[in-house]
Order: sequence, then structure tokens, then C-alpha cells
Amino acid sequence: MASDWSAPPLARSLGAALTLMMVLGVLFAALEFALLLPIPPEFWVIALFPAVALVWFVAGTIAWRRRPSSRTGLLIWVGGISLLAGGLLNTGIQFGIVVGSVFATVIVAVIVHLLLAFPSGRLPDRTSRAIALAGYFVALVLQTPVYVWGMGLFAPAIPANSELATIGGEVQRWAGLVVVVATAVVLGMRLRATSPGRRRVLVPLYGYGMASVVLIPASASLDVALPVPAVVAVQLALIAGVAVAFTVGVLVGGFERTAELEELAAWLGTESGREPLRSAIARALGDPSVELVYWLPVREGFVDEQGIGVDPPDDPGRGFAVIESDGAPVGAIVYDARLVGDQQRVQAVGRVAAIAIARERLTTELRASQTALRHSRVRLVEAADRERARIAKDLHDGLQVQLVLLALEAGRIHDDAQVEAVRDRALHLRQGIEEAADELRRLVHEVMPSALVERGLVLAAEDLVDRMPIPTTLRAEGLDAPLSPTVLNVAYFVVAEGLANTVKHARAASASVSLTREGDVLAVEIADDGVGGTGVHRGRGLAGLADRIDAVGGRMSLRNVPGGGTSLRAELPCGS
Amino acid sequence: MRVVIAEDETLLRQGLRLLLEEGGFEVVAAAGDADELLGAVDAHGPDLVITDIRMPPSHSDEGLRAALRIRSERPDIAIVVLSQYVQRRYALELLGGEASRIGYLLKQRIADVGAFRDDLRRVAEGGTALDPEVVAVLISRAGRGGGDVRRLTRRQREVLAYMAEGRSNAWIGQRLVLTEKAIVQHTSGIYDALGLPVTADDHRRVLAVIRYLDGAAD
Repeated sequence: MASDWSAPPLARSLGAALTLMMVLGVLFAALEFALLLPIPPEFWVIALFPAVALVWFVAGTIAWRRRPSSRTGLLIWVGGISLLAGGLLNTGIQFGIVVGSVFATVIVAVIVHLLLAFPSGRLPDRTSRAIALAGYFVALVLQTPVYVWGMGLFAPAIPANSELATIGGEVQRWAGLVVVVATAVVLGMRLRATSPGRRRVLVPLYGYGMASVVLIPASASLDVALPVPAVVAVQLALIAGVAVAFTVGVLVGGFERTAELEELAAWLGTESGREPLRSAIARALGDPSVELVYWLPVREGFVDEQGIGVDPPDDPGRGFAVIESDGAPVGAIVYDARLVGDQQRVQAVGRVAAIAIARERLTTELRASQTALRHSRVRLVEAADRERARIAKDLHDGLQVQLVLLALEAGRIHDDAQVEAVRDRALHLRQGIEEAADELRRLVHEVMPSALVERGLVLAAEDLVDRMPIPTTLRAEGLDAPLSPTVLNVAYFVVAEGLANTVKHARAASASVSLTREGDVLAVEIADDGVGGTGVHRGRGLAGLADRIDAVGGRMSLRNVPGGGTSLRAELPCGS
Repeated sequence: MRVVIAEDETLLRQGLRLLLEEGGFEVVAAAGDADELLGAVDAHGPDLVITDIRMPPSHSDEGLRAALRIRSERPDIAIVVLSQYVQRRYALELLGGEASRIGYLLKQRIADVGAFRDDLRRVAEGGTALDPEVVAVLISRAGRGGGDVRRLTRRQREVLAYMAEGRSNAWIGQRLVLTEKAIVQHTSGIYDALGLPVTADDHRRVLAVIRYLDGAAD
């Protein structure tokens, strides 16, 4: 997806900046490693500090490149820098010891910050901002007793005091615990509110992050069981894993490399071969779940791309940003509020894309009215079918029965009459009534063929074929499943009209009917070997039929077959 | 003779009952749908069943299906199926492998009261009554591709149609104002032309003719 267009200027300059940062990161890590030399064999573990910092730098760079609009990459870089600073503690030089002491626990606060700000890298609300701030307070301010009194860093001016240091340590531990619990509560609430798909990414990430936040400070008490280098190694391994976890979270969370607003604008400037507007906006926001809806003035409501009405979502997790152009709404962007967080950014994207949205809206409006028109035509056809069926049924059940009864009565008069003249007249009467009944029977049959009602399309077509004056074959395939009454009717009348045309105009020696259902399409074909000719005189009866076929979304073609003859073919959609 | 009627139109059901009772038939039950019909057949074991094809609840072919069921379970009961419209497929299904005790007629044939009662009696006595219209479809269909039916004389085709309807030689002779002997001559001419085996029973003759006509098409 990202390779569809060459990298825009902004992406290129971001790439250059990240490369430069990576070079500096490697340099500083190497510098720290040099300062740590010579490392006694039993303290091999201190060499891991610059190594783990490097892991964070690499992870941060990847996250930043792949998702420039998220601040997760930046936060991972901050974490890496704090790790590098903390590692200076072991260098043995005065400046290093001071900086190292100050930054010793900042990495825990950064992890808390990362957890609360994932995936956008921004703290979405006041609570999470307060918790993150408290985290830094505990890591930086409440750390002071540890190095001022505990380590006697400023010894002559402020003498070491183990009692105060212990108290300070306890205060920091309990305050840290409060921060951790608050973070756990906030994350738990987010997990409950999130979608199942997102939860699959968040649960392991949150779990691992929280575990490391708890284990990194607590593992210090493990040193009774394990040698110090082993404990520190475990801590550092955990920390390295955090950076990897967040970067993986950013990448597998379904986020494509995101375009910034300028990239979106550049995309809007290109004319040909572009992807749908929705995908471009989804990429600009880094939210694959983005939906675009359009304002339809005639309905005074929003519709989707198919022209189907859409209401603003009830779900608080789905953001709804109305896009305006010239002070009137043109559409709205529906987005993942937890992922994007910042409504301002959505509005900014919307302003850039407003004209394109307005254009798509016109297309959608057209499509919506087209859809409505098609539905109304189908309804008309169905209503006509129903009405015909009703009339036919009324005639069948009412008038036809009455005629039979009248003929029966005439027949009985004929049988009972003593006078020859009366017998004759009753006989004539009965025959007259029977002729009328015949006429009516034919009429009813033309409108509503009984075989179609009783046994479906194949048998009804077979009856038409049986009554053809020329040899006619019938082939039916895939017609086991029932068809909708509308399709059934249209298909039957195509066969009836096609065969009637053959008899009337084609002077054919033989004909064939084929009914084939393949998937959601029913193909009806009537072919003959007659004189051909697709002129108006042959098509007149088909005109009304063509409208019906068109209304149900089908197609009809009448063509001359090479070597003589005509083929009438209709394809009708018959999906469920 | 004990008869069960199945017809969902009340007026027609009453008309049928009247017509049958005046003709000396005993109507033991009159059903309004296929389930009632099957129940009445079980309860009364009639000699003859007269049923409409299209009946409640679905108004499709339940009368025909009930008739086929009675025919397979109780071959001793004669059945006459009435319908507003006749077609080849239903005729073939009703005849099955045995043309005895079966009738398939247009509903309006009941108006010719005498002929209709004769048809009923013929079917009840083991014969056949196929509607002239469905026979006409069969004959025209058999003749449309050329074939032997076309080589018959007009009179022979007339006789062939009556044979297919299930008529006896005596009846055909009376109808065409010919001697029975002349009819026998016509029938053997037909047998020769179509290559049919000579059969004595009228209903076996029907089956042979219908099978020939159905197979001769196209």
C-alpha cells in the first residue's frame, strides 16, 4: 500500500532525521561503553546498559518510521535516552554518578507513560496525564533521598543519613505502588471498552508492560537468592523486551505506515489511478477502521457509500467528526476514538479532504437515488405480479366455477327436458357456456399458468414446450432450489414470449429452451433455426418483457445465430 | 357405488354431490382439502374418489399428490382427478405403470352430465378416462417431428385419440356411426402403422398408446 506512491517530501525528511538520530544514539552508546571500560569480569552486566539502550533506539526508530503520526516512537527514544543516562552510574566519574543516580528509575515512569499513551503516543485524558506525571514525579523527585542521603553524593555539604534514606525509599516505594495500581485500573477499563480485535493486541502488551513495571523495582529484593549481576541482567532483559513489545504492538495493531496531512494533500492532488478516499484518510489518521459517511440534503441525514442511511454511532469508542465545506456539512469521518484520540487531527484531515469528500458525496447521492429508483421499479413489478395473480385467482375461483356450475345446470335441464326443442336449446346453452369457460380458462392460464403455481418453472416451461407445433427441446440445469416469485414469473414469461415469437415469425423447423442456474444467475435461452431477423416486428412483444427484466436487474439480448435462426437470452439475478 | 369427493369450492362441491346422487352414486364424504380427503378414504374405503388438484392450504398440487398416494396405497380404489387445466406431465404421473381405474378430466366436463357419469362408471369398473385435450397435446406432440403418427389417416387419428381417452370399440363405433367391426379394422391398421402389440383390454390399450405417443415425440 505504501509503495503505491513515491515517498513525499515530509516522509523523506523524517527518514533523514531518524537516520541522524540513530547515528547519534549509536555514538553515545559507544561512548558510554568506552567510559565503562575496563569492566571487571564479575561486573559484565554493566556492559548491558548501553546495549539495552541501543535496543530501545532501534525499536523507537522503527516505530517512528512506520507510524510517524504516533508519538510512541518518540517515547521509546526518551526511554532509551533515560536508560543510557542511568547506565552512566557505573562509569565511576563524578558527573556520571550524579546523572546516573538521577535517572536510575526514570525508565519505569517512561514505561508507565508508554502504557497509558498506547497506541497514539498521546495521553488521551486528564486521568492518564495525571498518572503519567505522578510517575515522573516518583521517579525523579522522590528519588532524591536515595542519592542525597543514601549514597551521600553531596557528602561534605549534606552528610549521608541512612535513617532519612530509608524513610525516603519507603515513601518512593509506596507512591510508586499507587501509580502502578492507578495505571492498572485505567488500562483495565480501556480493555473492557475496546473491540475484541484490538484486545488481542492490547492484552499481551498491557500484561507484559505491567509485569515489568512491577518486577523491575521488586527484583532488587531477589538479590538474596541470586547474585547481583544475574538480577540486573534479568531487569535489563525485561526492559529491552518492553521496547520490542511496544514496537511490535504498533506494527501488528493493523497500522500501516501513516501519511501526514501533507501526504494526504499530495494524494488529493493526483488524479489518476488512486485508491479510494476512505483508505487515504484511514492512512492519514493511522486508523484502519475509518469509515466515511456523506451528508444527503434530501434525506437530511448521513449515508454510506452505497447510499444506505447511517446514524452517528452510539459507541463512545467511535468518534464522529462532521466535515463542513462552505459552512454546510458534506460528510463525516467515523474513527476509532481510542486510537486517534485527538479530534483536532481528524478535523484537520477533514478540512484537507473536504472538497474530495464533497465530490464523493455527489457520486453517493446519485448512487442512492439510483438504488431507490431500482428498488421502486422492483416493487412496481412485484405489485403488478401480485395484482395479476390476484385477478387470475379471483377469476379461477369465482367466475370459472360459476361458469362450470351454469353449464352443469344447463346440462341437467337438457337431461330432464321432455320437449325436444327445449333439449336442443339447453344443449346449445351448455355448449355456449363451455366455450366461454374455455376462453376464460385460456385467459387465466396466460396470466397465471397453473403449472407455475403448482410445480414451478421447469414444469411450466415443459407444458409450453409440449404445446409447441414444431419439435422443441427443453433443458434445465441447477434449478433444484426455489426461485423468488418475481424471478419465477419473469423467467416464465420470457420462455412463453420467446416461443410465441418463434411460432409467429420465425418459420422455424425446431426450437430449444434452456434454463440454467449458475450461482446467482438464472439464464433463460430460447433458440430456433428459423429465418432469423431481430427486427421490430419480432421484438414488439418483448418490449414490455425487457422492462420487467431490467427492473429486476437482469439483461436480455435478441440476436441472430450464425447459420440462421434467432436466440433470445435473458439473464436474471436470483441471489437469495 | 360409494364415492368420496374432494373440492375446496363449496358451490362446486354441492353441485358435484347433487349430480352424483341423482345418477345413483352414494356420496359417503365430501372433503375440502387433501388431508380431509385422505382421512375420508381411510374411514370409508370408497369405490371411487373424485378430487380437484389445487386445494388448500398451499393451493398448489396437493390434490394430485393425494391421488398418487391413494393410488399407490389402495390400488383397488378408482380415482378421477379434475382440474381447470390439463397437462401431459400430470397425465403420465397418474397413469404410472397401470392405466386401470384412473381418470384425468377438465373440470368443465361435469357439465355434460350423462357423459361424465359414464366416464365415472367406466373408471370405477377398471377403465380409463383421459381428457380429450391432454390426448390432443400428446398426439400433436408425437406428430410434430414427422414420424409414424403423421402417416395415419384422419379417421385413424380420430380413432387413436378415442383409444387414448380410454374408449371401448363399441363406444367409438357408436360415436363415429360405424360398425364395431369397422373400428376393429381401424385399430389393427393403427397397430400396424405404429408397430404396437395387439391388446384386448381397453386400459392396457390406453397405456400402450400413451407410452407410444409420449416416446414418439421429437
